[in-house]
Amino acid sequence: MTGNDRKIMFILAAISAIIGVMLATQLRSNLYPQQAESRSISELRSTLQKELEKHKTLLADISKYELLFYQYETALDEGESVEVMKEELARARKLAGMVSVEGPGVTVRIVDLDRRPSSLLTEQVEPAEGDAGREPGTSAGAYPDESTFPVPAGQVPQTNNDSVESFESFELAENGNVTIRTEGNSTQDGGKEGTGDIHVEGPPPLVIDQDLRMVVNELLVNGAKAVSLNGHRLIATSSIRNVGSSIQVDTKFIKPPYVFKALGDPETLISGLKLANIEGIFQIANKAVLMEKHDHLVIPAYQGTQTVRYMRPVKAKGES
Amino acid sequence: MWLPLIGLIAGIVLGFVLDLRVPQEYSSYVSIALLAGLDTIFGGIRAYLERMFNVRIFMSGFFFNTLFAAGLAFLGAFLGIDLYMAAIVAFGVRLFNNLAVIRRIVLSKWLSQRM
Repeated sequence: MTGNDRKIMFILAAISAIIGVMLATQLRSNLYPQQAESRSISELRSTLQKELEKHKTLLADISKYELLFYQYETALDEGESVEVMKEELARARKLAGMVSVEGPGVTVRIVDLDRRPSSLLTEQVEPAEGDAGREPGTSAGAYPDESTFPVPAGQVPQTNNDSVESFESFELAENGNVTIRTEGNSTQDGGKEGTGDIHVEGPPPLVIDQDLRMVVNELLVNGAKAVSLNGHRLIATSSIRNVGSSIQVDTKFIKPPYVFKALGDPETLISGLKLANIEGIFQIANKAVLMEKHDHLVIPAYQGTQTVRYMRPVKAKGES
Repeated sequence: MWLPLIGLIAGIVLGFVLDLRVPQEYSSYVSIALLAGLDTIFGGIRAYLERMFNVRIFMSGFFFNTLFAAGLAFLGAFLGIDLYMAAIVAFGVRLFNNLAVIRRIVLSKWLSQRM
């Protein structure tokens, strides 16, 4: 009976051990729950839905980027079209005047006739200063010439025109305006051919926009690839115009001496300008045109900003 | 007599050491199985005290009770019947019954030894 009892005891111990394991498991599970899931089923469902949607969009993103990657790769395979595009962009920028360019070309300086080329770059003296020592004059041509040549101190003011003797009087207005009355003054509002009143304000336009435009046109028609005027690069939308008594290039004032720089074949450019009688035209305005050939000329980039407005490319059908 | 108690303590220690965990939704089935097991244990002790102990009945009773309790509770959850409650009540009643019988037997033995 004792052997049987012992056997029973062992079995009971084994069963107790199993029950103990179950008890411990249950205690653990109840005392320290793995994750306290307090959300309701519908909440979980909506969360799951959201996550599924996110997953879907992510998958779509992946496929999109893979497609893009594939496109880029094939584009790279097809003759390195990225390089071609870069070259095309650089060419377009060069044509549009967005980069500085260099090469052979000419400079065209429009200077006063009497002055030496060595002093060309000095600033033109304003008439407001020392205007008593200077006498305005008019040329016989269409361009009223009261050019303000700097004269050495103590020297009698000289004018290059004999018509200065014909002046009856000239008076200085308080704002610096010079009113010149000529001898044959018959009309009040004339101003034509130098016979009427000539109202000159400040530094008067000896050279007007039209003359400069003509030079630019002649340069371009003779194959100039890039033109700048007084350091302002001229682009497709550039303007040269009179504003008041000054000349503006792209709304920036420029002062004489006017210096054109143009890239192109120097021989062609200079002969083209000479053929167009540019020198003769400026001579009327008492200006000299100095043309110099250069083997290496740098023309600056366009400094303004170009915005594309009011225009968009026309998409033609069948265009690749 | 102390061997089952030692076994129980050893089992609890083993359970904590093994660090078994049951998912929350199956926790109730484990508790049912545990209740059935306890009932079987106390039934066995009672049978032993009444000298009617049969190893085969005890073993089969233990495993079948635990498995059927858990299984029926699981099935009841599917059928929409709270067999879980039925098992709790049945095993609870039997457990307290057995405990009462054990207490009476132990008490009468103790009293007869005193006499």
